[in-house]
Amino acid sequence: MTTALRALISNPNTAELELIARYGMQPEDPRRERLFQAFAQTGLPTRRMEAWKWTDFKAALGALDRPGSQSACDPLASDEALCFRFSPDGFEYPKDLPEGIHLFVKPEPQALGSAEDVPLGALAAALAGSKTRPGTLMIEVTATDLPRLHFAFGGEGEASFARVTIVVRPGAELTVSESYLGGAGFLSSVFEYSLQGDAKMNRTVYQRGADKETMAATALVQLEGESEYTQTSLAFGAKLARLETRLVHKEADAKATMNAAYLVGKGLHADITTHVRHGAQSCVTRQMTKGAVLDGGTGVFQGKFHVPRTAGQYTDADMQHKALLLEEGAVVFAKPELEIYADDVECAHGNTCGALDGDQLFYMRQRGIPERTARALLTEAFIAEALETAGDLKDILRHEASNWLAQS
Amino acid sequence: MPAYMRTMLKIENLTATVGEEDEAKTIINGLDLEVPAGEVHAIMGPNGAGKSTLSYVLTGRDGYEVTGGSATLNGEDILDMDPEERAAKGLFLSFQYPVEIPGVPVMTFVRAAMNAQRKARGEDEISAPDFIKKSRELGQKLKLDAEMLKRPLNVGFSGGEKKRLEIYQMMMLEPKFLILDETDSGLDIDALKTVSDGVNAMRSPDRGMLVITHYQRLLDHIKPDKVHVLAKGRIIATGGPELAHRLEKEGYDGVLGEVV
Repeated sequence: MTTALRALISNPNTAELELIARYGMQPEDPRRERLFQAFAQTGLPTRRMEAWKWTDFKAALGALDRPGSQSACDPLASDEALCFRFSPDGFEYPKDLPEGIHLFVKPEPQALGSAEDVPLGALAAALAGSKTRPGTLMIEVTATDLPRLHFAFGGEGEASFARVTIVVRPGAELTVSESYLGGAGFLSSVFEYSLQGDAKMNRTVYQRGADKETMAATALVQLEGESEYTQTSLAFGAKLARLETRLVHKEADAKATMNAAYLVGKGLHADITTHVRHGAQSCVTRQMTKGAVLDGGTGVFQGKFHVPRTAGQYTDADMQHKALLLEEGAVVFAKPELEIYADDVECAHGNTCGALDGDQLFYMRQRGIPERTARALLTEAFIAEALETAGDLKDILRHEASNWLAQS
Repeated sequence: MPAYMRTMLKIENLTATVGEEDEAKTIINGLDLEVPAGEVHAIMGPNGAGKSTLSYVLTGRDGYEVTGGSATLNGEDILDMDPEERAAKGLFLSFQYPVEIPGVPVMTFVRAAMNAQRKARGEDEISAPDFIKKSRELGQKLKLDAEMLKRPLNVGFSGGEKKRLEIYQMMMLEPKFLILDETDSGLDIDALKTVSDGVNAMRSPDRGMLVITHYQRLLDHIKPDKVHVLAKGRIIATGGPELAHRLEKEGYDGVLGEVV
């Protein structure tokens, strides 16, 4: 078995061999085998794969190492939220859940829908289970006015994998948040969100990491009926950090809003990747990504709208990406893509990349505002637009952005 | 010596260029000027004379290089200071084209500016209630409604509103020396009066002003003590308010032809 898998991954590096060994220690299970094979077809993604050309995990992740300590406290943790805490070796979850939230902690991996496109998602699903951690955490939501579900990833260790499946039943409403706080040399999580009927969900993602950590958080989102999905991400990057969302409009009149901001300093890399398939008529997607990068930092934005010929008719979709290169030596890669086969749609995209405006800076300095402060104020204002959708967490995200700007 | 006889702004034999090294153009060419405390001096001159360049050189904008001479404010050399240091020393420029600052509300902006200046001078920050009280009083005086002061600075404001906001900032920050660059451009008669009233309210024995303008019109509202004519980067004529009237009547060619 292990030998066969080793043959599947071409030229495995140390990290890949260690992942194969971890898989080998798991109890045999056909579902796990399928998932791991889906990963093994590509191995760790490399720049040779179009979707990973700027975020090469194989090159960045030579071996599974302990990076040291967790990078950040969790700004999204709160007594009012129901907190699920994942660490490389542990898992804690609230025992008392309100009516309307049903939790199933499954030791085995469950079958995964669209694993082929997301190698690291398949890997996360294959390796999530252990003695202390669930193979699949399944949550069913059937009510409104529920406390926020918060998933925190921290603690030290070589590697951390998690898989969470959440179904929001028709008419239910949910707020979720995910915090990635560093501490693991390699982290991969996969969240599957399924919204049915006129369900509503607001998701916030916070990511912070250091230059020895690589992480990928993958979300697979399915919208049915007239559901409404809102997502807001704030990423500060790591050696490699990728926040990927693959969303499918499965039934007519669904609505998705996906905003993100990345603030990247020296030696760090943040990748915001989204793929939206308008698989049903008259669905709406709004997407705004803003980034600001310092010398030695790298930001990546890849966005794709796929609108099939008949199914995607009357699509209304807009994708914007705007990045600020705060210093010389900052790098931003952007690839906004519209793939449209339907003929009666409204699809737009915009992509800009530049420096702060010299006239604005001089105006502020003439009023007495020091250059550093002027830059921070202008950058914060620029970023803020993308954080507006985070509901009650908006101010926390903005505060985090503002602190980062004040310190950099 | 009483404050009003003291020279505040003193410029001697100033030369300055604009543009990159190879294509640098001399715009200010041996300019001398003194403005004492308590006085308002007007600078008039044809297009391209160097009026706006002078305001940018004095306030330290990037892209303008001083190649000779000196400029002092209250005896301190300002040319080596960063723009924000000059502002903290009390130098204020009312822009010909005020810049939009998206995402930063007017009051947030002005409070940040005021506290930065105070900090640079080693003073305490203004308290929030004091700031709001002062802002509200000024807003009423300048016909700026409270909602407007919560909106991002200059974003989507009309030309007149932007100029009134310049005066609002000036009155909030209480600078020692004002440079008004073409403050009358883009103003209708009512707005011109509001703006001029604001500027006149700032006249004080401790404060100097330099009013840069194309037209004599503004000087009917803000009466200068002296009028200087700037051409080809130098002051080529100086007189009383009557000089502005002559320029208006005879044109720059008529007057300049005589004195040059």
